[in-house]
Amino acid sequence: MPREAMIDEWYPVGLFSQLDQTGRRTALMGEPIDVALGADGKAKVTDGNGRALPVTVRYGHVWSSLGEPGKDLFAIPEADQPGRRLVDVGVVRVRCSPLRAVENFLDIAHFPFVHTDILGAEPHTEVQNYKVEIREDEDEVWATQVQFYQPQAAKSASGGITTEYMYRVPAPTCSILYKTCPPRPGEWDVITLFVQPLAEDLCDVWPWMALYDDETPMTDLIHFQQMIFLQDRSILENQIPALLPLDPGMEIPTRADQTSVAYRRWLKRHNYTYGAQLVAQ
Amino acid sequence: MLSDLMDSWIPVALSQDLPAATVMPVLAPAGPLALWRSRSGRATASADRCPHRGMRLSHGFVRGEALSCIYHGWSYSQAGTCLRIPAHPGLAPPETIRVATHPVAEAGGIIWVAVGEPAAEPPRLDGLVPLRSLTAEAELSTIEAAAGATAGPDGLVWQAPNAPAVRLLLVPQRAGETLIHVLVPDGCATSERIAASRAVESLRRTAEERQRKGSRHAA
Amino acid sequence: MKLYDYILSPSCYTVRLMAALTGVKLDIRPVDFHPGLEHRGPELMALNPGGSIPILEDGDLILTESSAMLVYLAARAAPEWLGSGAPEQAARLQQWLLFSHRLTANLGGARLHDMLLRPGDIDLLRTQGIAALRELEAGLFEQSQRGMRFLASDRPTVADIACFPYVALAPDGGVSLDPYPAIRLWSRAIRSLDGFIEMPGIHRLHELKPDPQPETGEA
Repeated sequence: MPREAMIDEWYPVGLFSQLDQTGRRTALMGEPIDVALGADGKAKVTDGNGRALPVTVRYGHVWSSLGEPGKDLFAIPEADQPGRRLVDVGVVRVRCSPLRAVENFLDIAHFPFVHTDILGAEPHTEVQNYKVEIREDEDEVWATQVQFYQPQAAKSASGGITTEYMYRVPAPTCSILYKTCPPRPGEWDVITLFVQPLAEDLCDVWPWMALYDDETPMTDLIHFQQMIFLQDRSILENQIPALLPLDPGMEIPTRADQTSVAYRRWLKRHNYTYGAQLVAQ
Repeated sequence: MLSDLMDSWIPVALSQDLPAATVMPVLAPAGPLALWRSRSGRATASADRCPHRGMRLSHGFVRGEALSCIYHGWSYSQAGTCLRIPAHPGLAPPETIRVATHPVAEAGGIIWVAVGEPAAEPPRLDGLVPLRSLTAEAELSTIEAAAGATAGPDGLVWQAPNAPAVRLLLVPQRAGETLIHVLVPDGCATSERIAASRAVESLRRTAEERQRKGSRHAA
Repeated sequence: MKLYDYILSPSCYTVRLMAALTGVKLDIRPVDFHPGLEHRGPELMALNPGGSIPILEDGDLILTESSAMLVYLAARAAPEWLGSGAPEQAARLQQWLLFSHRLTANLGGARLHDMLLRPGDIDLLRTQGIAALRELEAGLFEQSQRGMRFLASDRPTVADIACFPYVALAPDGGVSLDPYPAIRLWSRAIRSLDGFIEMPGIHRLHELKPDPQPETGEA
């Protein structure tokens, strides 16, 4: 059963700031759920039978689970740093596997072709080698020392810079990107993709950010990130097969794809196969 | 009907709809194809899937004599070999990275893709010129019923009222969908060509109506 | 000129595109349409009680219909985009300018439903969207028979710019563009215009830029 290993994970199901007592109907892995604000002002999530599901509110979003999460939601210490702008980017629905959505977020070789003249531009297409590991203690995928030349790396950047990146996968459908912060060298801007799996080929993507940027209006920050994600959406909806192949053969990686190779290996190891396909299928 | 497809040519597109340095998606029995024309004018039919991360190549772009994938810019020759991986400019891509290609023939303004190994060239449709292609949500047999004619190896001949006689090449697509290439006699005036187009649109409406009614009555 | 704008709105983009094509500098004021619903908030409702964006402000003039904004930009900066004024051409221009409103409702509605979770009868919106695309395809085909590559003329007009974004983004709402060769060629012609700018969901035409490293191993 593809859902089994992933059933006890936390998943984003809504923006806390938009909750009201009427609530909204959504879904997790094919199961209808309702997300609403209780009379006590707390978020509550129930399944189709009215059964209360686990709830936590973090990073601007309501999180829930169809099972029993064995641990707290992953930590992002930067979210609590004073002076950070916390940005709820807003949900976008995509007809693709939740795992494909995460993998695209981990990829940089597409920048010159998909985010042309923003995150990358020809002829600066080369992806230098970087470091990838599965950190066993935290059980997370990490990519570090990633570098790429970008014409307009962020709203706060005044021109082209070589951006440094780190990527982190703390949960099967969540990814966190740490990137060069132009106003505060030495700090990282944090950009996340929290993906809600509605079905194996349908997901709601909730991007969120924790940035150092005192200049740019909030709406501009939101629009920049929505622009980037929308540029990826038409790619995501046109990949074949829809389910992410976890076995080699169908798709051919190169050195630039190390993070995605590690991600697929980590998914397979944990049997995180909701939205994936194995050779035998 | 399927046996008719063995070792034959399928008309997938009109030449006029594939200018130089463009790519379009077409469907053949072998599966979805990216049909593209190089800068010098050569037409190629490649499998519509990049082996890197599965992106449809029909969303890509043609530069010179190569087709590139929109996702990461991997580029492919007319023979299907991978020529360049922009993330690794110094690397000669391994030969294992390739896309399947299918033989293409272009004649009389029509682009044909081979199914199997046809013994002969595609049919010559002398005296006829292509008009346009359109897609109908109807089975081939329903279109025949609407036209009151049967499709032969050289297509279906149909005479609409107030329009020149047209030749229709009918190409089944996915279930319940048929691609129609419309041909008219060479030398038709503009008004006749437009009349032919409108007549075929009427035929499509009739066929689709029949198809909808038929499927409601189906057991 | 101040444009109250949302980066993902095709109607707003149509104005940004027209400005770019005609060399008009716009002062962009971003509106948090999603998730903030700012267009329904007090400040913007005071400016436009219709509760929609884009809104164009030029001194005392406030416009709330994107078609009117296109006409205004053309009239101010580049009147050739309004066509020759000859009656038939002017009528075609009006026809397709009004048609673009149907695209906003059907293709635009399908997109808002599928992508931003707005309510809608998605099957009906897609059915209407497909009908509209077929009308556009037939219209472009007939124009081509008259020797014209665009909707009202052989050069692009405000009518083309009004229709283009919703058509190009139809797949966002689950409506495929694969079956429309005339639309494909028209879309490509628009995307190749001098001064063309993209919006998220409409990719750059990389083929227009020569390969930074020429291909080797060409056939």
